[in-house]
Amino acid sequence: MIERQLVETDILIIGGGTAGCMAAVEAKEQFPQYKVTILEKAHIDRSGCLAGGMNAINAYLNKGETPESFVRYVRSDSCGLIREDLVQSMSELFEYCVKKVEKWGLPILSDDNGDYIPRGRWNIKINGESLKPILSRAARSAGAKVYNWLVVTNLLTEGDRVSGAVGFSLRNGKFYVVKAKAVLIATGGAAGLYRPNNAGDASHKTWYSPYNTGAGYAMGIRAGAEMTSYEMRYVALRTKDAIAPTGTIALGAGAPQVNAKGERFMVSRYADLGGDGAPTPYRAHGPVQEIKEGRGPVYLDTRGIGPEKVKELKKAYLDMYPSQVLYWLANDIDPDKEPVEVQTTEPYIVGGHCQAGYWVDLNRRTTLKGLYAAGDVAGGAPFKFVSGCWAEGVIAARAMGEDISKMALLAPSDAQIDAEEKRAFNPLKNRERGKRGIPPADLEARLQKVMEQYAGGASTYYEMNQEMLTIARKKLATLPGEVNDVVANDLHQLMKAHEVIDRIDVAQVLVEHLAYRRETRWPTYQSRTDYPERDDVNWLKFVNSVKDRESGTIKMMTRPYEQIVPGDRYRP
Amino acid sequence: MPVWIDPDKCNGCHSSRQPPCLRMCPGDLIVKDHAVNKAYLKYPEDCWDCLPCIKVCPEEAIEFHLSYQFGSSGAKLAPHIHKTRDFITWEAEDIEGKKEEFTIRTKVMQIALDESVEDGPQGPDFSI
Ligand SMILES: Cc1cc2nc3c(=O)[nH]c(=O)nc-3n(C[C@H](O)[C@H](O)[C@H](O)COP(=O)(O)OP(=O)(O)OC[C@H]3O[C@@H](n4cnc5c(N)ncnc54)[C@H](O)[C@@H]3O)c2cc1C
Ligand code: SF4
Ligand code: SF4
Repeated sequence: MIERQLVETDILIIGGGTAGCMAAVEAKEQFPQYKVTILEKAHIDRSGCLAGGMNAINAYLNKGETPESFVRYVRSDSCGLIREDLVQSMSELFEYCVKKVEKWGLPILSDDNGDYIPRGRWNIKINGESLKPILSRAARSAGAKVYNWLVVTNLLTEGDRVSGAVGFSLRNGKFYVVKAKAVLIATGGAAGLYRPNNAGDASHKTWYSPYNTGAGYAMGIRAGAEMTSYEMRYVALRTKDAIAPTGTIALGAGAPQVNAKGERFMVSRYADLGGDGAPTPYRAHGPVQEIKEGRGPVYLDTRGIGPEKVKELKKAYLDMYPSQVLYWLANDIDPDKEPVEVQTTEPYIVGGHCQAGYWVDLNRRTTLKGLYAAGDVAGGAPFKFVSGCWAEGVIAARAMGEDISKMALLAPSDAQIDAEEKRAFNPLKNRERGKRGIPPADLEARLQKVMEQYAGGASTYYEMNQEMLTIARKKLATLPGEVNDVVANDLHQLMKAHEVIDRIDVAQVLVEHLAYRRETRWPTYQSRTDYPERDDVNWLKFVNSVKDRESGTIKMMTRPYEQIVPGDRYRP
Repeated sequence: MPVWIDPDKCNGCHSSRQPPCLRMCPGDLIVKDHAVNKAYLKYPEDCWDCLPCIKVCPEEAIEFHLSYQFGSSGAKLAPHIHKTRDFITWEAEDIEGKKEEFTIRTKVMQIALDESVEDGPQGPDFSI
C-alpha cells in the first residue's frame, strides 16, 4: 500500500531553481495572503543549474543599453526569429531582479563609482559560488513552503485547466497529490536526450545539469500544452573534456577561436556574420566545420594573456565550474603558454539559451488554464540566462497573483489520482511482480542511440535529413509502449526511471519539430542537409506542436513572427 | 571516481540521519551507511562534478578527483570556507607539485548537520 499525502495551496511552483525561487519571493511579497508551495526533486539549497555556482550574470543592460538594443541583439544572435515581446519584457526586469539578489547577499563586482563591472556587452561579473543557497534562503524567508526530494511526475488536469500536480517523495516514498489554483512550471531544460560527450564515470560530466531531464516539458506535452521551437536545440561550445563554459575565456580574456593551423577561421570564413562575434549558433557551427573538414582541433587562443589573466580565469572557473581548474592542474596546462582546446556538446533543449519550450503569452501563461511557465522550460525567449529566468519568474508570479481570485481549487477525480499513482509507481511494482523488465539505464542507452545516430547527434556533425528523421521517428515510436516494463529497485531508481520516460516524450516532439522546419535557420543547432539554406519567405515563423491527449498524435502548426523593434533583423 | 569520501575523516556528522553532503547533492547520489556511521558516493557514474558536497562537509572529508580518463591523479584542488563565511580559499596543487591559492569572496549560508523530511520517516532505512 502506498501512502498518500494531500497538499492544498494557492500557488504551486514545480522546480525550486533559478526561476522558481524568484517567483516564490515575488508571489509572497506581492500577495502575502496566498499560500505558495514549492516542489523540488533535490534539495532547494543546491539544485538545478546553479548547484555548482555562477560567475556572471549573462543578461544585463549595461550602461547605454536599452530593452530595444537588447531585443535587436538577441534577435540577430538567434538568426532573426524570436518572440520580441517576451524578450523585451524580461529585459525590463533585469535591474529589478539583480538588485534584489545583490541585497540578499550576492557579491557583484563594482567599480569605484559603484557601477557593475561588465564582462562583455550584456554580462556582469559576480562571485556566485553560493548563488543557489542565497536564492533558496530568500524563498524560504519570504514564506514559501518547500518540499525537498519531491519528484513531480505529472500535472493534474480538469478539461483544459491544470489543477495541481502529483509526484513521489524520494525520502518517505509517499505519493503526493497537490491541489493548486495556479501552477508555475520551472523545471529547467533537458540534458541526456543525446549521447553525452564523455563515457564511464564521466558520463554525467555534461555542461547542462544532468538532473534537469525535461520533466516540465514532458508533463506539459502529456497534458496537451502547446510547445514551440524545439528544433532550435542548443549545442554549446565548451572546453575539451571538462565541458566548462567558454564565455569565461572568450569574453573574460578576449581569446579568439583558432584551428590546428592557427588560422582565425571565424574571421576568415564568417567575417560577414561578425567573425568571433558572429551569432552564437555560428560560433558552434564554425568549429564543427573546421573539425569536419580536417582542420581540427580547435582552440581558444589564450597564448600570451599573461599570468594575471590566467589567475583571473581560474578564479572565475572556481566560482562556477571548478573541475576546469583541476583539469588544467592535472594535465599541466598553462593557458598563457598553450591555447585551450574546445569542443561542442551533445544537443540540449534549453529555452533559456535557445527557445524550445512552452508557448506562452506576455504574462507567461501557457495554453492550459492555470498553468504558467518560466525559465529554461519556457519557449520563445532565448538569451535568458539567470537574470532572464528570474525576470520570467517575477512576471509569472504577478500574473498568477492577479488571476488567482478567479480560480477555484478543483478536486481531481479518484480515477485520475489512482491512474497517476499507478503510473508513478509502476517501475517499483514491476520489481515486486518479479519482472526482469528494462533497467532505466538500458532505456536511456536506447533513446540516446536513436537520437545520436538519426536525429543530428555530434557523431553526424549535428546534421540530419528527412530520411534520418523518419527512422528516428519510427524507432522512437516503439519506446512509449515499452516504458511499462521499466523496472526500479528503489526510490532513487524510480526517479531515474521517470527521468528517461520524460525524455522519451520530449524526444518524440523534438524529432517532429526537426522534421517540420524545412530550412536551416540555426546551423548546427538545426542543420538540415536536405534544406541547407535559410528561407525567410516560407519559414520566418514559429513551429509549434500539441500532443493530442486521447490519440497521442503530435499535431504540428505554425505561429506568425511579429517584429516589434524596427531594424535589420540580422544586425545587432 | 569524481569525488571521494575519505572514511577516515568522515564522522557521519555524528548521529545525523541526513548529513549536509547527502542533502546538498543535486543528483541524490550520496548515502549514509548508518551501520558504520559514514557517508559514501553510491552512484559515482552519475556525478556532475559540481562540488556542493565538498563545500558543505564540516570535516573536509571529501576529496575532489578528476575522472581518470581526463588526466593522471596527483593534482589537488580543495576549497576551504573561512570561518566568517564571506571568503573561500581554494588550495591547488598541480601534477608537478606546484602550489597555488585562490581566495574569492562569497556568501556561504549556515547549514545544519541534520534536517528532517517533510511528512515523516527518514530516508535510508525506509523501504517500500
Ligand atoms: C554549468 C552552467 C553554467 C552556467 N553559467 C551561467 C552564468 O555564469 N551566468 C548566467 O547568467 N547563466 C548561466 N547559466 C545558465 C543559467 O544557469 C540557466 O539558464 C538558469 O539557471 C535556468 O534556470 P531555471 O530556473 O530554468 O532552471 P534551474 O535553475 O535548473 O531549476 C530547475 C529546477 O527544477 C527542479 N526539477 C527538475 N525536474 C523536476 C521534477 N520532476 N520535480 C521537481 N523538481 C524538478 C530541478 O532540480 C531544479 O532545481 C549556466 C548554466 C549551466 C548549466
Ligand atoms: S558531511 Fe562530511 S563528515 Fe558529514 S557525513 Fe558527509 S562526508 Fe561525512
Ligand atoms: S560533485 Fe555534485 S553531483 Fe557529485 S557527489 Fe558532489 S554534489 Fe553530488
